[in-house]
Amino acid sequence: MLLTTLLLSVLTPADPPLPSLYALRVGRAETIAHGTIEHAVVLVENGKIVTVGQDLEIERGIPVIELPDATLLPGLVDCYSRIGLDSEGSSGFEPQARASDELYADQKLWKEVLETGVTTLGMYPGGSGIPGQGFALQPHGATREQMILKDPTFLLVHMRSDPGAKKFLRDGLAKADEYDEKEKKNQEKWDKDQEKKGAKKEEKKEEAKSFTPQGFESSSFEPAAFEPAQDKAKKERKGYVPSEPDAKSKPFVELRQGKLRPLFTLSKAADYLHLLDVLAKEEFEFDARIQLRDDLDLHYVMDKFGEKKLRVAMEPRITLQPNTRRERNYAMELAKAGGKPVFVPRTDSVNGMKDWLRHVGEVVAAGLDREVALRAVTLEPAVLLGLGERLGSLEAGKDATFVLYDGDPFELSTRVVAVVLGGELVHGEIKQ
Amino acid sequence: MKQARTESNPMKSKLIASGAFAWLAFAAIAPLAAQESGESKPDSSKAAAAKKKDPDPKWYAIVGGDVHTGTGGVLRGATILSKDGVIDAVGYALELPEGTEVLDAKGLSVYPGMVAISASLAVSQGARFLAEDDLHMRCCIDFGKSGHAHQGPLDAELDLVLAEQAGLADPQSDLRDAYDPYSSSLLMTLAVGITSAEQSGGALKLKRGEIDGVVMRERFLSSFTWSSASSGKTQLRDKFAGAARYLREKRDWEVRKEKEKDLPEPSKKGVDAKSLAVLEGSARAKFNANDRDDLLGIARLAQEFGFRPVIEGCVEGWTVAEELGRAGAYAIIYPRQRRDKDENVVRAGGSSIENAAILHAHGVQVAIGPSANGIDLGGISGRDLLHITVDADFAVRGGMSDAAALAGLTTVPARILGVDHRVGSIEKGKDCDVIVTDGDVLHYETLVQYTVVAGKLAYDKQKELLFAHIRPRDLKEGNIPGLESAPSESATSGPGEQK
Repeated sequence: MLLTTLLLSVLTPADPPLPSLYALRVGRAETIAHGTIEHAVVLVENGKIVTVGQDLEIERGIPVIELPDATLLPGLVDCYSRIGLDSEGSSGFEPQARASDELYADQKLWKEVLETGVTTLGMYPGGSGIPGQGFALQPHGATREQMILKDPTFLLVHMRSDPGAKKFLRDGLAKADEYDEKEKKNQEKWDKDQEKKGAKKEEKKEEAKSFTPQGFESSSFEPAAFEPAQDKAKKERKGYVPSEPDAKSKPFVELRQGKLRPLFTLSKAADYLHLLDVLAKEEFEFDARIQLRDDLDLHYVMDKFGEKKLRVAMEPRITLQPNTRRERNYAMELAKAGGKPVFVPRTDSVNGMKDWLRHVGEVVAAGLDREVALRAVTLEPAVLLGLGERLGSLEAGKDATFVLYDGDPFELSTRVVAVVLGGELVHGEIKQ
Repeated sequence: MKQARTESNPMKSKLIASGAFAWLAFAAIAPLAAQESGESKPDSSKAAAAKKKDPDPKWYAIVGGDVHTGTGGVLRGATILSKDGVIDAVGYALELPEGTEVLDAKGLSVYPGMVAISASLAVSQGARFLAEDDLHMRCCIDFGKSGHAHQGPLDAELDLVLAEQAGLADPQSDLRDAYDPYSSSLLMTLAVGITSAEQSGGALKLKRGEIDGVVMRERFLSSFTWSSASSGKTQLRDKFAGAARYLREKRDWEVRKEKEKDLPEPSKKGVDAKSLAVLEGSARAKFNANDRDDLLGIARLAQEFGFRPVIEGCVEGWTVAEELGRAGAYAIIYPRQRRDKDENVVRAGGSSIENAAILHAHGVQVAIGPSANGIDLGGISGRDLLHITVDADFAVRGGMSDAAALAGLTTVPARILGVDHRVGSIEKGKDCDVIVTDGDVLHYETLVQYTVVAGKLAYDKQKELLFAHIRPRDLKEGNIPGLESAPSESATSGPGEQK
C-alpha cells in the first residue's frame, strides 16, 4: 500500500508514465461488453486489459490507482472524420485512393482531440463519387506509422438516387466480375498446364499466368505490396496463386472476398432502395453513413435497415419529418427496428467532439436506450472500422484505452479527467 | 362502353359469360392500340418474367364505389379487382379470391388515376425544401439540388451534363435511377389523384416505396421547334422531307432486294434522326406554338408527312380548330393561359375560354395541363400541379363537357405519351391505377381519399399529414395523424404537437 501511494504521488501530468502493470479502481465502469459495473476494478498489463470486474481482489504488490468518484469509459471512437486532413479530395471514380496519404503527424490538433476523450478516429477520403478508402488512427504518436491503427478501414461510396452514382458502383462491381472471370480462366488453364507438366516435368510455370499485374499507382502506404519473387515461391508451394487485380478493381475484388468493407453514404430514404437495386445479389456486408438533417425521410426505410441489422453512422440529433414540425429520433427508431446506431459528432471539429456526449445525452433524454447510446460512441464505431477486436469496450484482451470522467458522461457539467491510450496516460492527471 | 354485370372467377376467367363481349372487344383492340403506340418489347417480357417468378398473385379489390371508367360509363357500386397490379375484372358481384386485400369505397367515387402531362422532375426525383449541407454540395453527382424544384427543363439539362460527366453511355434508365419513391412532392402529387406523370418526354408510373416498374415509356415525346422565321420552317420541312425520302427508298429497297441482290441499302447519312423517329412512329412530335399562323403551318406539315402533331399551348387554336382537327392534332391546353389579341389584324385571335371546348368539338384531342409544372406551396387556390383539376374546370367553364375534360386529364395525355394501353381508364387489362374521391373529381372541394397505384394503396388521406384534418373521413381518436394521443412511435412528439 505504501508502495502504491509512493508510486501515485509520482504521477503528475508532467511525468505521466504509468507502470506496466497496475490496477484501476473506479466508482463505475461502463464496460459496454458486460454492462455497467459499480466499484469496478480494471487490471492492466503492458497496455492491455487483463481483467475487469466488481470489487476484485488485487494481488499484493500490484500498484492500485484509486479513483472512487470517476466513471470509466472505453475511449471514444469517431468513425467518420476528416479532422486534420487537407480538405481537397478526389472526385469521381477513385476507389484505390487512400485517405492516409493526406495524414500529417505531430500536429497540435491531435492533442486537442485526445483531450475530448476521442482516442480513435476513422478518417474518410474527401471527394465525391467513390473517392477512396479510409483509415483509422489514434491521435497520438510522433510519426504516421505510430498513429495509423488500420489502413484501409472501409471503401467509401457516396450513394445517391442518381444515374451517375449508381453507374460508379455498377462499374466497380463489373470490374470485380471481370477479374473473377479472368481468374477462373487462368486457373483452369493453369490446372491443365499442371496436368500436362505432371506427365513431363515441372517447368514453364510462369507462363500459366497470362497477364501481369499493374501494381499500385498511388498508395505510398501499402501494406501488401506486390513482390514477384515471393509470389513465385508461393506458387511453388501452394499451387495456383491468383494474380493481382489492377488498382481500381482491387477494392471491389476485396469487397467480395470480405477483406474490405464498404461504407455507403446516403442522403435520403430513396438512396437506400437504389443501393439495394445495384447490390442486388451481392453478399458482402456493409455499413451506412447518413448525415441527419431536418426533412430527412428515413422512417420509410427504417424497417429495411432493421431487417439488415444495418450499422448507420449519424449525428446525435433530433430531426423534423419532411414538411412538418414532427420530431424524429432516428437513432432510437433504428435501434428499435433492430439496426445499430453509430454516433459521430455533429460537427467535425474539436468543439464538435467536446460537445459530442452532451448531444448524445439529448438523444438519450428523447428516448434512446442508454446502453445503445454508449455502444454507439465506442464499440459500434470500432466495429465499423474493423477494430472491434481491439477497441470499443472494457474487456480482457482489449487495449487499455479509456477515458475517465468525473461524473455521468452525458451530463453537461461532466469533465474528462484523464485519457489513457494503450495503458499510457496521454492526458490529464491521475491522483489518489 | 356498356359494362353489363360481370361475374369473374379468376381461376376460370376464360369462362366469363355475360359481358364477355366487352372484354373480347377490348382484347381485339388492345394489340392494335399497342401497335399504334409502339409498345416496347422489354415491357412485356418483364411482365412475363414477373409472372413466372411470382406464382402467388396479389389480389386487390376496390369495392362498392361508383366507378367512372373513363370510357364513358359509370358503374354504381361496382367492384374493381386487380391481379398483380393489372385490372382483372370490373363489375358486380365479383368473387374475390382468398387473400384479396379490400378497399371499401362505398359511397365514394372511383376514377382512373390522372396523367399529368409536363410535370417537373421534382415530382419523381424529390424536391428539397432545405438548403443542402456541405457534404452534399461537395458531392457533384448528387442531383435534385434545391432550387431547381420548379424548373423541369433546367433539371433535364443538368441531368444530361451530369450524365456526360459520369461517362454514361446508356442513359436509358436515368429516370428510374433517379426516382425517389418517398419524395414529398410525389406524395402530394398522389394526394391530388395524379398517378402517372410525363418526365422528359417519357411516362412514369408514380409508385410509392419501390423503384421497379416506374418507367412506362422513355423519350416518346420529341420536341421540335417551330420557328416563326421562314428559314427555320424550310429547314424543318427539309428534315421531314429527307426522312420521308429515306423511308420511301428503304421500302423500295426492301421490295427490290429480293431480285437485285447487289442493291445497296439506302444510307441514313444526312437523315434527321428525330424526324425519322416521328415518321417511323417510335416518337411523337411535340411543338410549342400559340399563333394562328404557326398552328396552321404545323397542321400543314403534319398532313404533308402524315404524322399527328402534339401542340403545346395552342392558345389561338380555337380560330383554326377545323384545320387542326383535320390534321389529327393533339393539343396540350393550359386553360388559364391568357393572351391579348393582336390589334393589328382584323381576324379573331388571342386567348379564349372556349378554346378547349372548340378544339374538342372539331376532333382535336385535348389534354389539359397545369399552369405550372411543379409543386408550389405558396397558395390555396394555386396554379401548380396540385390544381390540375381546377384547370380542367376552366375548360368546362368554356363549354367543354365534363367527360371531355376528364379525358383531358386521363386518356388523352396517356395517348400523347404512348401509354394508353396501360393507363388512363378503368378497363380490364389496364394497370390498376385508380383514385377514390369523395365527390366529382372535377369539383374544387373534392378530396382524394385513396390513391391506388399498380394495385397497391399509395396514398390514404387519413394516414398522411397533408389533408387529414380537412373533413376527416371518420372522426375518431388516432384517426388524424397530427392528433395522436399516445406518442408511441416517435417518443418526442407530444399530443399538443401542431402539424
